[in-house]
Amino acid sequence: MTTPVDAERAWQDLQRIRVPQERVYDEVERGASGEAATTYITATLMWLFVASWGLTLPDWIFWLLTVAYVVLLGTLITFAARRARVRLHRSRHTWRSVASALAGAVVSLTTLLLSGFLARSLHLPLPTVIQATVSVGVHLLCVGPANRWTRSALRSHGARLDPSGSRPAPTAP
Amino acid sequence: MSTPTGFDELIHPATRLSVVALLAATEWADFPFIRDSLSLSDSALSKQLHTLEEAGYLEIRKEGGGRRRRTKVRLTDRGRTAFEGHVAALRAIVEDAPTATPAATAPAEDTTTPAPATAAEVTR
Repeated sequence: MTTPVDAERAWQDLQRIRVPQERVYDEVERGASGEAATTYITATLMWLFVASWGLTLPDWIFWLLTVAYVVLLGTLITFAARRARVRLHRSRHTWRSVASALAGAVVSLTTLLLSGFLARSLHLPLPTVIQATVSVGVHLLCVGPANRWTRSALRSHGARLDPSGSRPAPTAP
Repeated sequence: MSTPTGFDELIHPATRLSVVALLAATEWADFPFIRDSLSLSDSALSKQLHTLEEAGYLEIRKEGGGRRRRTKVRLTDRGRTAFEGHVAALRAIVEDAPTATPAATAPAEDTTTPAPATAAEVTR
């Protein structure tokens, strides 16, 4: 089988590859911008769970609440994933994705422990409510910028991976 | 001119190249997303997908039922390798051609810049 392919056609094909890949990044950014509801629901669940620590509950109810919290978070993540129309290939993610996930976990845990410690040390009323409010507040303040920071690198990273490269158009000899 | 290694006749047609290029950037994509992104009809996309699926380049998975039924499309490792090989072949063809003057250098977004031809025949 023979297919005549000249340099012009090959170059146009290489340019053509970029267009659908740009659509993928557009969709990833569009999907991420619609995550506000998920963020607020997550924050509400987190607040309720942490605030419940202040109640004098039997151990089995505490563990039941913990399991319920984890299941609800899992359900939320599953619903968010089901709404997505596309998932970016793992090779298109950058170190920022891992870094922001790790930093998020460290910041959340540190805020949770530190606010709890301070609220108890200063003998503030309703320490777990303060702990929950501060933790959720820091979570809400950080999650938006962290997500934007992560996403901002995706398209440029994709362009670097772009197999079509950026070679100039060929000319006739 | 010698045949560039990796040139793939199956991926070469414009629509299939666009489909595979889109899927190469994804773990999976929804059928409606591919259709809308490439401005294709359901039947045209379906035909191309099944051709690629028969070659083992794609996996088509249907999830759910009734109104929630979704069709997810994923590029297989074989398809990804074929796409990378095809792109490498296209680059080889372009690189064997004389380069344009700096003024003719096309920006990333410009897909319409004319590129005068240097004939090369690719035989498979």
